[in-house]
Amino acid sequence: MGHATANVTAREPRANVDFALIGHQESWRAATDVLAVLRGAERTRLPDDEIREIFPWIPPRAVCNVEATSATGAKARGLYIDCFIPPDHLDSEYIHENIGRVRAAAACAMNAGARIVSLGGFSSILIEGNFHQLPERADTIFTTGNTLTVAFIVQGIRKLCEQEGRDISKSTLLIVGATGDVGSGCARCLAPFVKRVVLCARNAKRLQTLAAELEADGTEVEIASGLKQVPCPANIVICAASLASPSLRLGCIAPEAIICDAGYPKNLSPRGDMRDARVFFGGLGQIAGGLSFKPDFKGVLNRHPFPEVAHGCLLEGMALALARRFEPFSQGRGLITRERVEEIEAVAALHGIHLAPFFNAEGPLNSAENQAP
Amino acid sequence: MESLVSLTCSEPVVCNSPLSTASIWQDVLAQAVTGELMAAMNYTAISTICDDPEEVADALEHAQGEQGHAAGFAAEGRKIGVDVPNNVNARYWKRIREAFMGCIAERDFIACLIVQEIMLESFAVASYTRVGKAAPGSLGSTFAAIAAEEEGHIEHAMEILRAERAKDPQRFDDKVYRLHLDVMTTLAEMVARECRHGQCDLCHSSCVKPSLSEVGLSTAELRGASLQRYLKTLDALGLPGEVTLQWVTQLPM
Repeated sequence: MGHATANVTAREPRANVDFALIGHQESWRAATDVLAVLRGAERTRLPDDEIREIFPWIPPRAVCNVEATSATGAKARGLYIDCFIPPDHLDSEYIHENIGRVRAAAACAMNAGARIVSLGGFSSILIEGNFHQLPERADTIFTTGNTLTVAFIVQGIRKLCEQEGRDISKSTLLIVGATGDVGSGCARCLAPFVKRVVLCARNAKRLQTLAAELEADGTEVEIASGLKQVPCPANIVICAASLASPSLRLGCIAPEAIICDAGYPKNLSPRGDMRDARVFFGGLGQIAGGLSFKPDFKGVLNRHPFPEVAHGCLLEGMALALARRFEPFSQGRGLITRERVEEIEAVAALHGIHLAPFFNAEGPLNSAENQAP
Repeated sequence: MESLVSLTCSEPVVCNSPLSTASIWQDVLAQAVTGELMAAMNYTAISTICDDPEEVADALEHAQGEQGHAAGFAAEGRKIGVDVPNNVNARYWKRIREAFMGCIAERDFIACLIVQEIMLESFAVASYTRVGKAAPGSLGSTFAAIAAEEEGHIEHAMEILRAERAKDPQRFDDKVYRLHLDVMTTLAEMVARECRHGQCDLCHSSCVKPSLSEVGLSTAELRGASLQRYLKTLDALGLPGEVTLQWVTQLPM
C-alpha cells in the first residue's frame, strides 16, 4: 500500500463530545459503503465476500465525528459509533453476541466522554428493557431515542392522511409490533384520533395489557397475535416490528392504505404486493441546520434521498444535546406517552429538527407537500 | 548475539506421518517456529540497545522464552511424525525482520516494543488461540499454552508504551502509524486469502491456505482474529478507535 495517507493520525480533539450515536448497518450494501469510505477512494473496493469475512471481526468503535447544527446556530459535537453487527446477524440466535457489541459500543461512548448517547436500530431494541446491562458512568446518559421516533411516525401518518384527504377519524389503524416501545407509543398517540385500533404482536399478555389501557380511554381495540388473525382491513398501518430483515407481507390492508414502515431494518418485504398503497419510511426527521461528518460519511451513514435526514432515535440525542438537556429521556419499554412525545417534539422543533420529507425504497413520494421545510 | 538460535534454513521436508492432516500442521508449525525464532532474535537485538541492566536481562529472558516456544512447536511436529522447517529469510518474515532491524539501527526501544509486542504478538496470540482450539491433542494444548504465555508478557510492554504515549500522544501515534505501514502491511499480506506474490518459502509444497479448512481453520478466521486483537491492543494503548479502524481497513486484503 502507498503512503498517501500520511495525515491519517491527525484527528479532531476529543474534548467536548456532547453526544454519541450508536448504530449498525442494516444491509451488506451499507456495510460495504462504510468500509469503502474508510479505505479511501484511491484504494480498490473490497470484494463483497471479503467484506463478509472481515466485518464480523471489527470491534465496536467510533467511525466518525458528527456535528449537528441547530436552527439557533448552536452546535453539538458527537461521534458515530458502529457496533459492527453483521447485517445478517440480527436474528435472536445472535442476541448475546449483539448485546456484547452494544455494551462495547457504550463503553466507547463513555471513554470518549459523551454526555448523552442515542441507541439506534437494534441497539435500542436489545437494551430498551435491559439498561442495567450497560456499563455505568455517572456523566454519560443513555436514551433509546424512541420518543422522537414515535413523534415522527405520528406526524407522518397525520400529515399524509391530511394531504391525501383521508378522514383519519374513520380509519382503522393496524400497528404491527404493537407491544414494542415504538409500537405502543404510536398506539397511545394515535388511538384518540382513529375509529379503531388493531394491535398485532406475538406476546399475548402484553397485547392484552395495552388493549385494556387503550380501551379504558374509550378506544375500540382489536388484538391479533399474527397478521392472519387481523380481523378487518386496515386503512392505516404502522410497521414497527423488530425484524432481522425486510420480510413482512401485509395481507390485511384496505385498498390505497397508508403504510408507514418504521423498522430498522425495514419491515416490509420488497416482494410484497402493495401497488395501490401509499408506503413511506417513517420515524425520520430532518435537521435544518445540517449534519456534518468527519471523515465524510454523508449519504453513507444517512442513506436517504433527502439531505440532513436521520432516524428519530439518533436525532433525539442530538436535540437533547443542542438543548443541553443531558437526561435519559427515553428508557425502558412501553413508557412513551403523548405528553412525552409533545415535549420532545417541542425540543426538536426549537432546534430546527422536523419531520423528514416522505420517501420510500423507490425514492421521494410524489406529493406537493414533499418539500424540505 | 544471534547464535543462540539455529537459523539453518531447512531443506524441503517430506511428510511421512500417519496423521492424514500432518502435512497441513507441518506448514502451520513452520510459520509458528519461524515466528518464535524471529521473536527470539528480536528480543536478543533489543537487549543490545537497552541501557538499564534490568531491561537487558528482561529482553534476554524473553528471547530464551521464545526459543523455548520454537522448540516446543518443533517437538509437537515430531510427535505427529513431521520435521518442522524454519526460515527467517522466508519472504514475509524477512521483510518484518528488516523493519525491526531498522528500529534497532535507530536505537529506538519504543519502536522495537511496538513492532514486537503490539504487532507481532497480536498476531501470535490471536492465531495461536484459534489454532489451539482446532488442533488435536497435545498440539492444540501447546498452541493454547504458548498463546497464554505470550499474552502474559505483553502487559509489561503495555505499561511502558502507555507511559510513552502519555508524554506526546500525536508523536507516539505517528510512530505507530509509520511502523504499521511497514510491518502490518506485511503481516496482512501473510494472512491474506491467497499469497498473491508467490510462495511464502515456508509451505513444504503448495500453499497451505486452501487446505486449512480440512483442519477446521481458515485464513479468514486467522486474519480476522489477528486484526481484531491488534485493534483491541491499540485501543488499550489509547489510540483513537476511528483512526486505527482506518489504518486496518486500508491494509491489503
